[in-house]
Amino acid sequence: MLRKLGKELLFFDGGMGTLLQKEGLLPGELPENWNIEKREIIQNIHRAYYEAGSHILLTNTFGANRIKYHGTPYSLQAVIEAAVKNVESVSEDVIVAFDMGPTGKLLKPMGDLSFEDAYEAFKEAAIYGEQAGAQMIHIETMSDTYELKAAVLAAKENTNLPVTATVIFDEHGKLLTGADVATVVALLEGLRVDALGINCGMGPEQMLPILKEIRKYTSLPIIVKPNAGLPKQKDGNTYYDVLPNAFAEALCEIVKCGACVIGGCCGTTPEHIQAMVEKCKGMEIVKPTYKTATLVSSYGKTVEIGQAPIIIGERINPTGKSKFKQALKEHDLDYILKEAIMQQDKGAHILDVNVGLPDIDEVSMMKEAVTEIQSIVNLPLQIDTVNVEALEAAMRIYNGKPMVNSVSGKQESMDAVFPLIQKYGGVVVGLTLDENGIPNTAEGRVAIAGRIIEEAKKYGIDKKDVVIDVLTMTISSEPDGAKVTLDALKKVREIYGVQTVLGVSNVSFGLPNRPIINSNFYTMAMQGGLTSAIINPASEAMMNAYYSYCALMGYDENCGQYIANCGHVSETNQTTVGKNDLNLNTAIERGLKEEAYLIVKELVREQNPMDIIQECLIPALDKVGKGFENGTVFLPQLLMSAEAAKQAFEVLKEQMSAEGDSEVKKEKIILATVKGDIHDIGKNIVKVLLENYSFHVIDLGKDVEPEVIVEQAIKHGVRLVGLSALMTTTVINMEKTIKLLRNQLPTCKVMVGGAVLNQEYADMIDADFYGKDAMQSVYYAQSLFKAN
Amino acid sequence: MDVRTKETIRYLGYGKHAVDEKTLQSIEESFEELVRIAEKKSISQIFDLCVKDENQLVIENIEIFSRNLRTNLRDCKQVVLFAATLGTDVDRLIRKTQVVDMAKTVVMQACAAALLEEFCDELQNEVAEQLQKQGKYIRPRFSPGYGDFSILHQKDFISLLDTPKMIGLSMTESYMLTPTKSVTAVIGISETQTDCDSNACENCKKTDCKYKRG
Repeated sequence: MLRKLGKELLFFDGGMGTLLQKEGLLPGELPENWNIEKREIIQNIHRAYYEAGSHILLTNTFGANRIKYHGTPYSLQAVIEAAVKNVESVSEDVIVAFDMGPTGKLLKPMGDLSFEDAYEAFKEAAIYGEQAGAQMIHIETMSDTYELKAAVLAAKENTNLPVTATVIFDEHGKLLTGADVATVVALLEGLRVDALGINCGMGPEQMLPILKEIRKYTSLPIIVKPNAGLPKQKDGNTYYDVLPNAFAEALCEIVKCGACVIGGCCGTTPEHIQAMVEKCKGMEIVKPTYKTATLVSSYGKTVEIGQAPIIIGERINPTGKSKFKQALKEHDLDYILKEAIMQQDKGAHILDVNVGLPDIDEVSMMKEAVTEIQSIVNLPLQIDTVNVEALEAAMRIYNGKPMVNSVSGKQESMDAVFPLIQKYGGVVVGLTLDENGIPNTAEGRVAIAGRIIEEAKKYGIDKKDVVIDVLTMTISSEPDGAKVTLDALKKVREIYGVQTVLGVSNVSFGLPNRPIINSNFYTMAMQGGLTSAIINPASEAMMNAYYSYCALMGYDENCGQYIANCGHVSETNQTTVGKNDLNLNTAIERGLKEEAYLIVKELVREQNPMDIIQECLIPALDKVGKGFENGTVFLPQLLMSAEAAKQAFEVLKEQMSAEGDSEVKKEKIILATVKGDIHDIGKNIVKVLLENYSFHVIDLGKDVEPEVIVEQAIKHGVRLVGLSALMTTTVINMEKTIKLLRNQLPTCKVMVGGAVLNQEYADMIDADFYGKDAMQSVYYAQSLFKAN
Repeated sequence: MDVRTKETIRYLGYGKHAVDEKTLQSIEESFEELVRIAEKKSISQIFDLCVKDENQLVIENIEIFSRNLRTNLRDCKQVVLFAATLGTDVDRLIRKTQVVDMAKTVVMQACAAALLEEFCDELQNEVAEQLQKQGKYIRPRFSPGYGDFSILHQKDFISLLDTPKMIGLSMTESYMLTPTKSVTAVIGISETQTDCDSNACENCKKTDCKYKRG
């Protein structure tokens, strides 16, 4: 029967939950228990759907995973076995689809469920499902791409069953966590499900436009399972009011628009399904058509390579950047995040992420960088590493369909990288070099491109997911370098019709005024068929070339982007401060970031950095701090001043290291938001202020295990740990952390703060100090280190 | 000055002090960004309320021990449970802002809280209007975590309203709502109008609170 998927119209069953409620299931009661306790009711519902004409019956296991289903009289395995048996009892002539719904938890970093824990929960359920005899796994009602990925991976890696998946889109074609249709399709096709589609949330009519949108992107058979209309309420009860005949009519339309498998969700009954089957039986389906677009996605956004040129930001890469290397060694993720935000603001479409350094753990760093960047920036990422282990780790936890940099024509490289693309999905950059190096001729590179594309096919990876890089050579050492590259670019476009990418700035190594050459080469390459480029979006010359090209080639409607970005004179040469009456002290007191930066830039030409700190920065900060204490300055102002001072410190720090002055040894303080607590604004406020007062803050982040805090405190030999908690439910973990610290590092003091705390509470959990606001923790730290 | 700006300034601890121009501008910008990206979603449902004894209440099959809630729901036979959220993108925006500017972050955080309260007020007013047509009145909304109404009941609200599926609202192991800018609350339905003030802040006996309204 499943072989008919995508060839003939197939029928799913209809709603389960709404029918169980009619039978007396209470709100909040676990429906899975009924597989054992009231199996006749469950079997009768299955039978009714079978008799109505359903080919595929879903087991009553929507919430059967260890995260939702626990504290129950039955084991998960027993409930799943019973559920499969209940479907099997109906007839041998049905497909038993093991139903997997969401965990009901939000995944990290927005929630507290880790991707791995979600994966484990789905894995366990999927294995039980297969063992019990299910013939396929249907993942449904998903509203988060990340959880969806965990479920699909778990099902595919641990069973041999076909896997299908449907999600809840709203009327705007968005998931609750923000993904649009293209994004969901890119992810699911990358993970190689057998069919995909939409269920729940809306009635059949509202689903029509979404279905059309899905069809625009997918090459797979589409499943549509609407509710019996939009949910309505009367006397406190939810109900659905599309009757069986109207439902059948609407589903008939849905089949015409491209659905290959249809059924019902909330509010639909065997009567709905019977009417639907009667109406639609024998209808020809619109067969799925193959789509050739090259799609890269994040959790919420999809970028297509092959329309307007795509910019891949190159800044997250330590090569040749000593500050970046330093940040990696110090585990300073904020540095990376700032680069990400900057590039997004400057117009990048995709961000390259390379964190490779010889002396760091690249696997864990890559995972962390990808996770953190994805928690604040919605651009798709290009995972850039030669470390296959780091690549796989990052692809696994990546929320979306990533770009991968890179595979080459070397057999070893292809053997390592293609299986990962096959498994996790992705668009891979194919470098035209092989065991013999980089060919000198365009023909040589084109031939390698061909071999890469052919080898990819063996893994079922279509050429749409291979973007060829014919490699930029340096013209100062190879006079023909650029010509060969442009020639090869043109040829791979003509011969294979693939998308292309280049790291553009290589071309100008060794030459003066590199942006001039780079930007001209960039324009020539775009004209020659370059559809994406790895560049620095902060380079004005490159972006000018990009916006000009888009305007000239009709990619920029009404030249809007060009006007917005290139329509004003560059202001970068204006270094003078507008207001002459302003000095550094007032700039900081008034929280004027840019002004503070500019003034201090002037000052360091004449004054010693340490003097500036002693005479301007510290007095200004003290004044603001006092004001805050007296209630004349408020938190936003205190922090604006802190941010302004931070800017000034940056300049001075650079100056000092340029002059060879080693920085004054700073006292280390650990800050962390305790286990279970995911609010970290309070902790971050304290961090900014402590840093202003020259403390070296080791920020362990939020939701930190007591053991980790203690381990880090011992490792760094700190004398002060600051802990933050927002909720009564997490203060207990603060207490645990303090106990453990007392035990293992008795010399270390602990200061605490957070919304639920007060002096009494702090005493109770044995803290050394309670900071009622951020300045208090600064004063405490100062007094503590002065005294010793 | 509109209500949400006033509320934001209060959350920022300004009390009766005049707010500075820079902060005011930051508030304005924050609201602009937040309004653009917030995905407001809500759900509500009416349940029967049974008052057992002095401090015990039963909503559907949930037992609640709370003197404060009991007072709030005096004479009510039904309640509206409701949940509302501004969505995950607001959390993302606040996280992103934290990386570049902490001053902006505290302002944005306060603005998001004010926006959420405004949304809840709108929902509450809608409920009130509908019920008034049936000659019924509502009590001010009351959330788990207020007074002695245990925050642990967050879990029951989420389960009764099926919020993860309906509006994408769930909670952590420590009973924090995620997305963080979310609310669950109970609104009492009463046959009689009471002069109960909808502004719990003014009713509070605490006089030294720096967030005190008015």
